[in-house]
Amino acid sequence: MVRLWFDRGTILLKGEVGTPYGKWDPRVGCYRAKAMHYGDILAYLEESQIPIQDEVKQLPPLETLKSTVQLRPYQKEALNKWRGAQMRGILVLPTAAGKTYIALEAISFLRTQTLIVVPTLDLIDQWRSRVKECLGVDAGAVGGGESSVRMVTVATYDSAYLQAELLGSKFIFIIFDEVHHLASPSYMQIAEMYIAPYRMGLTATYERLDERHTLLPQLVGDPVYSVDVGELTGKHLSSYTYEKLYVELAPKEQRAYENEMAVFRNYLGEKRIVLKSAKDFQRFIMITGRDRRAREALLARNRALKIALNSEEKVNLLAHQLEEHKKEKTLIFTLHNDLVYAISRRFLIPAITYQTPKEERRHILENFRKGEYRTIVTSQVLDEGIDVPDASVGYILSGTGSTREYIQRLGRLLRKFEGKQARLVEIVSKETVEVKISRRRSQKKGEEKPSRAPQ
Amino acid sequence: MLPSSLLTVWKRKGIIWPRYAKFSNDDLEVAKVLIEAYKRGLGEKKSVLKEFVGELEDSGYDYHFVRGLSFLLDRRSVFKCNVKANPSDLRRKLFQATGELGPATTPEMRKRIIERVASELKIPTGMIEELLYADLDSELMMEKFDPLPPQELLEKYNLSLTQTLLFDSTELKFTASANWQKIFFAVKSLGLIYDAFKDGRLWVKIDGPASLFKLSRRYGTAMAKLLPAIIANSEWTVEAKILWKYTNEICDFKIESWKHRALLGSYKSPISYDSVVEQDFAARFQALNSEWRLKREPEPVLAGKKVIIPDFAFEREGAKLYMEIVGFWTVDYLLRKIEKLKNAEATILVAVDETLACERLSNLGKHTRLNIIYYRNRIPLAPVLRYLRDASREANLKQTGFLKNLPVVFTEPYVEFEEFAARIGVSAQAVRATLTEKPPDNYIVLPKGLIRKDRLEQIKKRIDEQIGRSGGLPLLEAAGITEREGVDVTSAIEALGYKIVWHGINTEKAEVVKPQKSN
Repeated sequence: MVRLWFDRGTILLKGEVGTPYGKWDPRVGCYRAKAMHYGDILAYLEESQIPIQDEVKQLPPLETLKSTVQLRPYQKEALNKWRGAQMRGILVLPTAAGKTYIALEAISFLRTQTLIVVPTLDLIDQWRSRVKECLGVDAGAVGGGESSVRMVTVATYDSAYLQAELLGSKFIFIIFDEVHHLASPSYMQIAEMYIAPYRMGLTATYERLDERHTLLPQLVGDPVYSVDVGELTGKHLSSYTYEKLYVELAPKEQRAYENEMAVFRNYLGEKRIVLKSAKDFQRFIMITGRDRRAREALLARNRALKIALNSEEKVNLLAHQLEEHKKEKTLIFTLHNDLVYAISRRFLIPAITYQTPKEERRHILENFRKGEYRTIVTSQVLDEGIDVPDASVGYILSGTGSTREYIQRLGRLLRKFEGKQARLVEIVSKETVEVKISRRRSQKKGEEKPSRAPQ
Repeated sequence: MLPSSLLTVWKRKGIIWPRYAKFSNDDLEVAKVLIEAYKRGLGEKKSVLKEFVGELEDSGYDYHFVRGLSFLLDRRSVFKCNVKANPSDLRRKLFQATGELGPATTPEMRKRIIERVASELKIPTGMIEELLYADLDSELMMEKFDPLPPQELLEKYNLSLTQTLLFDSTELKFTASANWQKIFFAVKSLGLIYDAFKDGRLWVKIDGPASLFKLSRRYGTAMAKLLPAIIANSEWTVEAKILWKYTNEICDFKIESWKHRALLGSYKSPISYDSVVEQDFAARFQALNSEWRLKREPEPVLAGKKVIIPDFAFEREGAKLYMEIVGFWTVDYLLRKIEKLKNAEATILVAVDETLACERLSNLGKHTRLNIIYYRNRIPLAPVLRYLRDASREANLKQTGFLKNLPVVFTEPYVEFEEFAARIGVSAQAVRATLTEKPPDNYIVLPKGLIRKDRLEQIKKRIDEQIGRSGGLPLLEAAGITEREGVDVTSAIEALGYKIVWHGINTEKAEVVKPQKSN
């Protein structure tokens, strides 16, 4: 007889036998295994005909689901591929291709205790309302001060990580929304410390620059279905155009910019430091922790970038654009919170940053959906997956040059709205480093030429 | 604890060490200047304060240090949104208007929107600008600040820096001189697992359930939270393995009270919170004047790899007993405790409060024969003394048994029981009992020790010589002779079969005489 129970993110086995998944733990005098091997251990013990006393699961009660989900053909195909892979695996679909519906249909098919892990608090709200709408039950939530566990529960990556000891034994099915997050060293422990044998990962951007996505198959399963923007655009998603508008810095800004950049370049030249890759830059940041002059150089560069990013001329150009496209639903993105609030103050439009209270954020998004508000200015918090159903214009006023950010921001605009093409406009200062960042951003994804998106 | 971006360390040959604040004039000056700035900041916006902090950073001080101190001072401050109306409500109204009229792309449009909302809310237009984002973090006003001396701020900074470093620890090992109850309570409630072992002192190694599979920083935060309980002690040592995230190497960190106490401040040992039951028992026990010494909060007792933390230790030569007092309990809890006690390296009495029982005692069944003492309100002395008496007897027995087979050959002219007992670590009583019962060859038993026969002969010869001349020998002179050999005079005289004749109570007039031989 083997007794199994859950101990804070791991499984303890007491009995005469071990399993290939356990390891003797001298601290407690038992075999201990990662919780993720729960299914494997059960299968192994059953195959070996070893009687067990299983006290691992601590599941919330089941509720009756009433599914109203209707899948499109490619969504059905994706779901079937996943089912064919023993209910494990990753689905790679562009933003707005309806990943949520595939996941909801999977829940309705399995009818078991399910945890949905999402990157942001906004997404908790969004998933909850979808669960209510499509499955007819209230979902529990863990994160942002809330903590209620139900048959279907939504949690942020942070909470799922921090509370793994508590939540790890409560679900049979786990869904990772934006699964590329899971590959980070701390978040991957979520996959390890939860018992759920059935797993699904959803993402638009499977690959990570740091190559860590290669860890995902052992945690969630292999990528079982993949379709990219090109295949779906026009048919299921609206197409978009991309344009870039240049502004010149005001003479005073230009002078200040050049002075600051000179300080930075002189330092690099003197120390023969070449900054080509992200890694180079990381190393440079490390130096600034020790070397005062390096830090001064970095600060000068940051001030220069800030001048370029926050240029008065850009905001003026934005004013023209807003005036011209008054009727359209518009999102304005910028990296710096200062600029978000400056724009909000100037145009008297709602702003969303990490500082915005949750209730106010919900209110703003809801009014935007209803069309009461037509413009929002925001920093990065809306970056992933948040539904803003019918925004038709987007402006980027600054950015970091990362590929994912670019695609996700783009994705937010890819909503079919009265058959109309969406526009993405990037406003860039001429002849500054920023041009380089922007160029890098659009070059990374081959098929998205800076002029026109695929139809 | 600080944000990990403010952690600053040096690292060499696998050793890592935080760049602690020194109590030099320079560092104290920065602390002082910052504390003053926060005092001045009362009633000011947070952004004004932060601007000053930024200037200090840019004027040649290490920004980690300046920002770290500022972070700690923020936590001693209260910032509040100090306006009458609710900015969030105002924004709703304003954005509603913009939603209808369109964004304020021109100054005229902006004016129009603001005037409309101002008249609707019946407030001046200027107030709208002021209120709009008055609840942003940087706009908040300082309402309260709890100042502290610069020295103390630096100590707190150093402690925070240490804790921040421990965020990245994969394993922690420590010893401490006391405070065990609190430490182990913290270990348990933080979800950590410990492993105790003895290496001179009692060492405790800490990690978490999943540490078994791979190095993990997961438990670092919990370990950092444990630190204050460990260093709130007169003596401690902490060693940690730090997984340095930038290079992915494992570094050693070690900090010890005798070297570094001053860095982290003089943490006073917290007053022990003895319960009334404990105080009462200690007072009554001490009034007995027993040969057993009572010790409060002794070092934990090893039980396998786990520890038991008794409330009292009873000590006498060669014997030690412990007692733990259990308040609320269930039969299950007690059974688990008893299971653990089986592995304990010492005898532990468990005093169990009958009145606080959650379940009927009869459920305990046959286990009641274990070292359990039931009490109501106060712990009865009688059963405790019974255990102590048994322990004394057992210890003596054990020791005499041990002494009988002791592979010792005596060669010294005189062996004092007490001195010998102390040398081999048993009770003098047991030594006396064993050696009196079966004295080694060539030795004669005296009340306080053994004397070699030839040495006694020598003493006899000397005394006889003196007596020979005068018929009696003053006791003091006899004492001179025996004590030169390390033997007290009365013992020696008795062993020789001589007598002391007293003339009054004056020692100086007492004499040693040979007994008259009877015919």
